[in-house]
Amino acid sequence: MTHLTYIMAAYGLTVLVAGVFAVDAWARMGRARRRLAAIDPRANR
Amino acid sequence: MDATTPPPPGGRTLHRFANPGRFLRISGRVLPVVALLGLGLTLTGCVWGLFFAPADWQQGDAVRIMYVHVPAAWLASFGYLSLAICSVLSLVWRHPLADLAAAEIGPVGAAFTALCLATGSIWGKPMWGAWWVWDARLTSVLVLFFLYLGHVALVRAFDDPQRGYRAGAILALIGVVNLPIIKFSVDWWNTLHQPATIKFTGAPTMYVGMLWPLLLCALGFTFGFVAIVLARTRAAVMERRIRGLLMARAQEADAR
Amino acid sequence: MTRKRRRLILLLVCGLGLGTAAALVLTAFSDNMVFFLAPADLASKAPHNGRTFRLGGLVEAGSVEHTREGSKPVVRFRITDGAANVVVTYAGILPDLFREGQGVVTLGAMQTDGTFRASEVLAKHDETYMPKEVADALKRSGHWDPKAGAPPPASTWNTLLPKPGNGG
Repeated sequence: MTHLTYIMAAYGLTVLVAGVFAVDAWARMGRARRRLAAIDPRANR
Repeated sequence: MDATTPPPPGGRTLHRFANPGRFLRISGRVLPVVALLGLGLTLTGCVWGLFFAPADWQQGDAVRIMYVHVPAAWLASFGYLSLAICSVLSLVWRHPLADLAAAEIGPVGAAFTALCLATGSIWGKPMWGAWWVWDARLTSVLVLFFLYLGHVALVRAFDDPQRGYRAGAILALIGVVNLPIIKFSVDWWNTLHQPATIKFTGAPTMYVGMLWPLLLCALGFTFGFVAIVLARTRAAVMERRIRGLLMARAQEADAR
Repeated sequence: MTRKRRRLILLLVCGLGLGTAAALVLTAFSDNMVFFLAPADLASKAPHNGRTFRLGGLVEAGSVEHTREGSKPVVRFRITDGAANVVVTYAGILPDLFREGQGVVTLGAMQTDGTFRASEVLAKHDETYMPKEVADALKRSGHWDPKAGAPPPASTWNTLLPKPGNGG
């Protein structure tokens, strides 16, 4: 492959950004769900 | 709107989703599907683009950067469009979910715009011979990035969140002017950036063996964007309910 | 309902005003928004007295020659826009996309001898994405000479080969 370092940099950056945002959103959702369940037992989800 | 008046006929469909419980139920069911579609389509498109699509006769393998750059660019604009739609819903219909969604779209849109700028830069260095030039396309996308950043900061800048949402919505709507400028910059002015390959009229000037993985990636990025925004908005709705419960409890304790 | 309608109308009016203002500003500044001048613009618009500007156009077919200035390798080529052309000299690394018939944008200044001395040469990519096999097939069949200009309409080649490529 030509320009391999450029290609790897572009795809690496994409995976990094997408991964960080996905994991952060997932973790934030889990945190909120647990806190809500702890505060409000009626929130049966 | 007063809490006592029933929702008007026109707004009823919109306000169905204003009920946080209903939003959480529906989005909870939709989210896994959207997230899996996003992951699956993006992976398929990227593997296809990286290993099976042909190299370009001039660009060589550097053309493969396109499979992440172009979808990121499209999502940067579409994300801003969705931000603007949320802003209209917020300003005109006072839709409470639109405020939360707009606040969550901002950072995600900014990330996609940054990704578009960075991957474009990585492609530009070997192909054009420069990391960056101040032509109309690149500059207008940089302005889009700053609009996103401004929105992110403005929404979170006030003690009263309602005022932040209002200010953010106005900024977002002013920034909409930039969207046609981005789209048509390559036609209106002479730029270093090439004109559109996939046009509203006429055949795409791209070989089909490259077009398919690009479209898959674009679809995958779209689902991924929606999934991340949906997940963040779900979290925001739950966080708002937590704040409300805690505040109600504190007031109860004071009253006793 | 009326309050809502009033807000909607207010928003539309603001949008209309903003859109008009933006359109006016863009029209007023459109001359300053050009990234580069074409050879035909030089007579009327080119800054003289050694000021730097960007000159863009196509690298004329058959005009590229690699020479030396003392010990430094220098490339000389003509930039054309069909109507006029300018001789450009440049000492430095050319981008990967540089070739005859390719669009380029150069940064530099006019010299007293009427040539353009570039300190930077950028290649402009056009909107076509074509595998090598397809480009070769078009060249072989005489449908396209990349040195002479743009490729034929996309619908004649974008599904040309039955086998979609053979990997990288």
